[in-house]
Amino acid sequence: MKKSIYLLAVLAITFTACKNETKSTSEASHSKEMVKEESGHDHGNHDHGDMKEDGMMSEKREITETNQKNDATTPIIDAYLKIKNALVNDDKSGATSGATDLLKAFSDFDMTKLSKEQHTEYMDILENAQEQAEHIVKSPIDHQREHFDVLTEDINDIISLLGTEKTLYLQFCPMYNNNKGGKWLSEVKEIKNPYFGSKMLTCGSIKKQIN
Amino acid sequence: MIRKYVKKILLGLFVVLIVIQFFPVEYNRSEEATPSDISTALQVPADVQTIFTTSCYDCHSNNTKYPWYSKIQPGSWFMANHIAEGKEELNFNEFGNYSKRRQKSKLKSIASQIKDDEMPLFSYTLIHRNASLSEAQKQKVLNWVKNLLENY
Repeated sequence: MKKSIYLLAVLAITFTACKNETKSTSEASHSKEMVKEESGHDHGNHDHGDMKEDGMMSEKREITETNQKNDATTPIIDAYLKIKNALVNDDKSGATSGATDLLKAFSDFDMTKLSKEQHTEYMDILENAQEQAEHIVKSPIDHQREHFDVLTEDINDIISLLGTEKTLYLQFCPMYNNNKGGKWLSEVKEIKNPYFGSKMLTCGSIKKQIN
Repeated sequence: MIRKYVKKILLGLFVVLIVIQFFPVEYNRSEEATPSDISTALQVPADVQTIFTTSCYDCHSNNTKYPWYSKIQPGSWFMANHIAEGKEELNFNEFGNYSKRRQKSKLKSIASQIKDDEMPLFSYTLIHRNASLSEAQKQKVLNWVKNLLENY
């Protein structure tokens, strides 16, 4: 018995030692991303050297705004508003459920009706928005609010890109995030702040009306 | 009688411990160049980059510096799991491949995780003492991110 245990131990060590090979996980994802970047229409400067000189952030992304009435985006916007209203009520699990709805709305969304340009832009927004929604599902409420802040920009861009049939208000509270401010979309004019909830429910003003 | 059982159980555990050594994990190591690393994609000051390399890259890049105990099971499973999750969330070596939109949200998340002391993970800094961030180091990263985002 003792002998066989020693034998096992020696074998185990040999095996682990042999496993120290290096691995290249990045190659596949590299080439995939490359293709994506090449097909992107609004990035003139994706060479990394140039990017460094320009500073990554200087290049503003341009989305031509549409006034088109579009009901295809309604499930996405409704789920977003559900998250917003839950955060107004300091309701973490409500926000989680809204984010779950949003993920479903994204996967149900029919992309075949998009033009080629819209599709590229939509995919770019989608990747980020899904990630925010996934985090809202699993995070405590202060992180839900941080991801909601990022998500708002994505949803706003989806609306600019594809349009909506709804009347919405883009609202802004300058105090959120150490006075950097935070925006959100609302279905009502009245200010109900999702970033502070009951602590500061009425901080904010209307920046823009959509439809 | 009881002693006999204890002996058997200990022996059993010992055997299990040895057997699981036969299932090593694949190490997170790559010898490829990293042309899409954050240091290439953005202008990262040297002190900020040092913070990233020391405190973040073990789980958020394609190369982990493995301590000796990570070569023993179940330690390496535990670590492999953390690394897989960490890389999926943010991979500094792939940062340049992210879309602008994603780069921006990743930077925001880096700042908020560091600000709230959620990263680097406590279980990690417990063992890697030099990875834990001082207030000054945290501030360095936060300021850097803040300036970058202002120019967006």
